[in-house]
Amino acid sequence: MELIERYLQAVKFALPRAQQDDIVKELRDSILSQVEDKEASLGRALTTDEQVDLLKKLGRPSDLAARYRKQQYLIGATMFPIYWKVLKLSLILAFVVHVGVTIALAAAGKHFSECLAVLFHYPSAALAVFAWVTLVFVALDFFGAKLSIKDCWDPRTLPPLVKEKPPKSRFELITQLVVQTIFGAWWLAGLHYQYLIFGPGAAFFRFGPVFQAIYPLFVGMVLVDISFTVAAIFHPQWSNVRRISRVVMSGIGLLVLYFLIKTPELLVAADPASAQMQDLSKTVNNAIHLALMVAVVVSIINLVVGGARLLGRWLARTHEPAACL
Amino acid sequence: MHHTAEETLKPEVLENLRLELRRGCLILAVLGALRTERYGYTLRKALAEQGMEIDEGTLYPLLRRLESQGLLVSEWREEEKRNKRFYRLSAEGKVILKQLASEWKSINSSLEGIL
Repeated sequence: MELIERYLQAVKFALPRAQQDDIVKELRDSILSQVEDKEASLGRALTTDEQVDLLKKLGRPSDLAARYRKQQYLIGATMFPIYWKVLKLSLILAFVVHVGVTIALAAAGKHFSECLAVLFHYPSAALAVFAWVTLVFVALDFFGAKLSIKDCWDPRTLPPLVKEKPPKSRFELITQLVVQTIFGAWWLAGLHYQYLIFGPGAAFFRFGPVFQAIYPLFVGMVLVDISFTVAAIFHPQWSNVRRISRVVMSGIGLLVLYFLIKTPELLVAADPASAQMQDLSKTVNNAIHLALMVAVVVSIINLVVGGARLLGRWLARTHEPAACL
Repeated sequence: MHHTAEETLKPEVLENLRLELRRGCLILAVLGALRTERYGYTLRKALAEQGMEIDEGTLYPLLRRLESQGLLVSEWREEEKRNKRFYRLSAEGKVILKQLASEWKSINSSLEGIL
């Protein structure tokens, strides 16, 4: 019976201290009663294997002990969905801030390793964000329960209905395709024949060499953008096209922004001999760099939020029998 | 490729639903069986004889919960050379059992109509 005592000892270890002896005493009686019954029917003492089988039926000692405990949680079911949303938003915000600072440092000409160090700091910052958000919500849940705040709700205070954006009609999509094609052609042609973009300003400014270097990326961007619209026109049932296109375009956009941001001279003076134009192009380039940094932040938000939503939809869909794009 | 409902149904879904369905019934069965004083092991055997199998990990915590709610009373007594904890319905438990049994009959007759 040593095995049974060892089992009971393990159960006792996981029980609330005040009830340990009482519960173990009762369990011991129950187990021994079963042993006696079996031994009486077999006409002999139980073997070790038979005792093992009997104890296995009772389950792991920790599982058995857990059933005597009250269900415990830090954040209740009412507060949890709000907590989860706030936590996700806070983590995304912290990520965007880190990426923003990294880009700002890179744009300011700091060393590559110095810029990366900021990004690598994100996991510890995320841990701190997780701890603080959790702590605040534990406190809110605790004091909310004490003050019965949750009972004071009134249905009239519920937020108004949010109307879902209806999918674009075929006419809207065709119009979009025409605009995209015209804009894409204008932009791609304009990079070669710059007066198409600058107009009379072409006499003062020209695109820097980087625009020619990443020309294939611009071509790819225009083609991908047009392809998604064509897909939406011919396959309106593919409900995720809009979301996927936003994520893909944000990704390609980020790549383009990366090459542009690390180039100091995005625009160059048409007349390199003019000191006045050199100064002006420097000011314009600084302004463009600032705008590009904002674009980076927006693209990252789009990429992270869009990617997370797509992933969530994909995970949800894997539990459904039928699937379409 | 089409799957029938039986093919796609995960066994744990059925098991969880079955356990959920039984949980409420077990309370009623335990309260009903404890109109007669019993200790844990004999209670378990009595329920099993009536087709209500229940494992120790469920029964003993349930007995404690019902006792803490005032529906059962218990006392330690020696029987067959061992100390055993005997349970029986309290006065409050008897009233609750009556009400629950009536609720059960009502649900049962509604379900028979639905199913």
